[in-house]
Amino acid sequence: MTYLSRIRINPLRADSRKLLANPRAMHGMVTGGVADRPLDERVLWRLDTDNPRRPQLYVLTQSKPDWTHAVESAGWPDADGDHALVRDYTPLLAQLAVGRRFAFRLTANPVQNTRTPQKPSPGQQAHRDADPRGRSFRIGHRTATAQMRWFLDHTDRWGFTIPDSRTDQPAPGLEPAAPADGKPLAPKEVRITDRQRKTFTKGGDKPVVLHTATFEGVLRITDTDTFTTRLLHGIGPAKAYGCGLLTLAPLHRSATES
Amino acid sequence: MTTPPTGGGRAVLLLRLAGPLQSWGDRSAFNRRETRPEPTKSGVIGLLAAAQGRAREDDITDLLQVRLGVRVDQPGTLLRDFHTVSDYRGRPLLQAGVSAKGVQKPTSPAKNTHVTQRFYLQDAVFLVAVEGPEALVTALHDAVRNPAFPLALGRRSCVPTQPLALKPHTGDLDTALRETPWQASEHARSLHCRRTGTRPARIDLAATVDDPDGNDVLADVPQSFDPRRRAFTNRTVRHTWLSVPTDIPNPDPPDDTDAGHDPFVLLGW
Repeated sequence: MTYLSRIRINPLRADSRKLLANPRAMHGMVTGGVADRPLDERVLWRLDTDNPRRPQLYVLTQSKPDWTHAVESAGWPDADGDHALVRDYTPLLAQLAVGRRFAFRLTANPVQNTRTPQKPSPGQQAHRDADPRGRSFRIGHRTATAQMRWFLDHTDRWGFTIPDSRTDQPAPGLEPAAPADGKPLAPKEVRITDRQRKTFTKGGDKPVVLHTATFEGVLRITDTDTFTTRLLHGIGPAKAYGCGLLTLAPLHRSATES
Repeated sequence: MTTPPTGGGRAVLLLRLAGPLQSWGDRSAFNRRETRPEPTKSGVIGLLAAAQGRAREDDITDLLQVRLGVRVDQPGTLLRDFHTVSDYRGRPLLQAGVSAKGVQKPTSPAKNTHVTQRFYLQDAVFLVAVEGPEALVTALHDAVRNPAFPLALGRRSCVPTQPLALKPHTGDLDTALRETPWQASEHARSLHCRRTGTRPARIDLAATVDDPDGNDVLADVPQSFDPRRRAFTNRTVRHTWLSVPTDIPNPDPPDDTDAGHDPFVLLGW
């Protein structure tokens, strides 16, 4: 069984501010909602701040979670309404089929692994000098173009494709604007709605630095098994820190007609 | 005078009065010819009589039993047309008064030029509903589709544009005026969308309907079109606003379609 939860966060409380600012603290709170020990299941979560004054936390767990502690410390314990929604995820998995289209949202951590970074840091340069064929470096994509290209390059191995946008042909003599780095991207039904650079400490000397991008758009399933695996186990790195949870929603009427 | 609707056996003829110029004269005479902002009943009945091929002296009492409703789809703007009139032979013009012999007297001092002004509605569109007995309305519809005399919008020079006759409506007059889509031109529609910033599904239009309980009186019911015995009587009308479908393609969808990303919708919520 899999469960999707939605928890509303009260941003005015001290505990919430720590959770909202620090993905590591949020990870601790989220894993605290899962009862089974030892915790060997994959827990995915994502913080949606469509309305910054009413942030919402989505969590995907394998077992049924309990969010009483989150409501007590970071919510509105005595308020009306649903403090935390917990819903069985199986109805969605039963709907997946090749060719179906959904609206999706994904916050991911686009990275590349390379032995030859364009601007190696002193530490990386030292490693390269010591062992040119050694282990590669994982470097975060920092521009929106690179993040979007990372996403579009990887969708096939995640079991879905992004449909082409319905765009008119440019007027004769007008070429589509090319991004500063690399080839122009073909217009697709996806856009980046949020980009963040998050820094937090994990006990060591160096801080953890994450570049995250939130992708929203339309997807079409091409491989049900792979897609189900990615839905349940997440996409890309930094899954403990709020990345990789892909959620689906019905298409709006205008997008359905395409 | 008008007769109230009696239900069965009545039908509504729908006319779309549109053209570059219209002029609906009402009690204007001599050198200043004004226009009403809406078609007059005498103008509409004259148009129908012309379509049926009646002479000016013919009886029109059967046409007077219809009930009239006018909807302003596009009010148009007022055009003043300035004219001077002279005698082509160079003689002085005559005055309106007549001598004992019945001939017009010359002016003193001699006047060689009249200044006349004519007013028109330009770029206006009206929807006119004529409710009457079904047989009469059917005959009028056939006549407008195949008119005996050239039809005009209040003046001989104001030519109507097509389509003039819309499909006859089987309901009553108020329903017909309310349900017939907005007849404004494409340009007026796009202008309205640009000015309001929306693509509305409905629009409010002014209308004037014959109603015995109305609060305004118009003196434009003709007794006869005979040039020697012209006479008009009154009718009581009611001025209202009607909410009319615009037929603008793809009006703004309601707000609930843009509800944001909610994954719980697919889970049965």
